[in-house]
Amino acid sequence: MTVEQTIEKLNKSKVPIIVIDKTLERFKGQNLFPKKLKRANEILAKTGLPKLTN
Amino acid sequence: MNHPKYNYRSESALQFYEFISEGPEGLIKKMVIYTETTTENVYNIGFGDYDESTNGISDLSVTNNGDSLKVLATVASTVYAFIERHPNAWILATGSTSVRTRLYRMGITNNLTEIEADFIDLGYTKNEEWEKFVVGEDYEAFLLTKKRK
Repeated sequence: MTVEQTIEKLNKSKVPIIVIDKTLERFKGQNLFPKKLKRANEILAKTGLPKLTN
Repeated sequence: MNHPKYNYRSESALQFYEFISEGPEGLIKKMVIYTETTTENVYNIGFGDYDESTNGISDLSVTNNGDSLKVLATVASTVYAFIERHPNAWILATGSTSVRTRLYRMGITNNLTEIEADFIDLGYTKNEEWEKFVVGEDYEAFLLTKKRK
């Protein structure tokens, strides 16, 4: 891929440039949104996931 | 979502994102987090302001930094990044307040054509059922997954 193609691809991308930062791994295993997660789990326990028909 | 977005940082699993909101209130660190639920392959999305003093995130703060569309577009773009890394995942979103839930609904409504090109989008109804997202309907939660080819 040429530089021009790469730039064109990046400009069309829905995702901006991502810098990988290993320090963010410190959040692994933490429940930072306990109320939201509790409600999400309640909804999933009660209703589950819909069947995919696409 | 072809709106301007902030660049962001993430770790290798693309579950934790950090970016800086810039505006009249200064530089405010924001985070977007995808947390595993008790259901396999379903992740809860949360975002808010990072508080260095507590190492926590407030999803109730109102920043008034004049960049809410840019922030929303950035959060939406993390969905694409996350799904690239976790293509079979489902993403569940609930608002921390009714105002924020409406904000999610507006974000989906305003970008529905683009979202539906790539995703299956569902809303959680008052009857406690998932239904295909309908513009104008009131939902407590939203569920997205990438269309299977």
